[in-house]
Amino acid sequence: MSEREMEELKKLLKESMPAMDAELRRDLWPAMQQRLAEPAIRMPWWDWALLAAAAVVTLLFPTMIPALLYHL
Amino acid sequence: MNKHPFVRAYLAGIAIPTVVLLLVMTGYTIIRYVYDIPVPIEKVIVFPMAAVPNAWGLWNVLYLAFLARRHFSLGLFGGALPLLLAPGGYMVTRLLGFAVPHEVYHIAPFALPVGLIVYYLVWKYFVGFLNAELGIA
Repeated sequence: MSEREMEELKKLLKESMPAMDAELRRDLWPAMQQRLAEPAIRMPWWDWALLAAAAVVTLLFPTMIPALLYHL
Repeated sequence: MNKHPFVRAYLAGIAIPTVVLLLVMTGYTIIRYVYDIPVPIEKVIVFPMAAVPNAWGLWNVLYLAFLARRHFSLGLFGGALPLLLAPGGYMVTRLLGFAVPHEVYHIAPFALPVGLIVYYLVWKYFVGFLNAELGIA
């Protein structure tokens, strides 16, 4: 293959492949900072109340624990 | 991450009961064979081992398919699952001739609400977290 053919082949290959977008389109660091600053999962008070009620009933009737685990 | 959302929903759904089942089974095995508790759990163990994790996975798939876009509460939807599992578990015990202790019937009116609450909280926070991590929330 001659030098000219090689150059032509390179040119054809470059034309056939889309140019790679090596640069980021936007700065990702602010989004990362925002994600880091987000508070951990917060439970509203009614979920705490439900959890407490379930815990109290389970403590009052511990025989239900095997039945609950069976259905988990 | 946009491929196969239903497979991801299924996997997110089965994750929690699969992990819990390992712990529960370990406890049951110790109680049954180390302390010789005369309850033949192995007769009915097929229900929590096979049906429950698959039910969780399919329930999450159903949520993603029909309710996620309408912003229906995942906790409420997951909290409704015991309403299917409780009769299912009872049916399995009857079909296999497993003698359910009478105490279980007495505490059932209390156990069902507790089960609904536990499922509501687990689905809202744990399954919801997994769904978000897998990009299907």
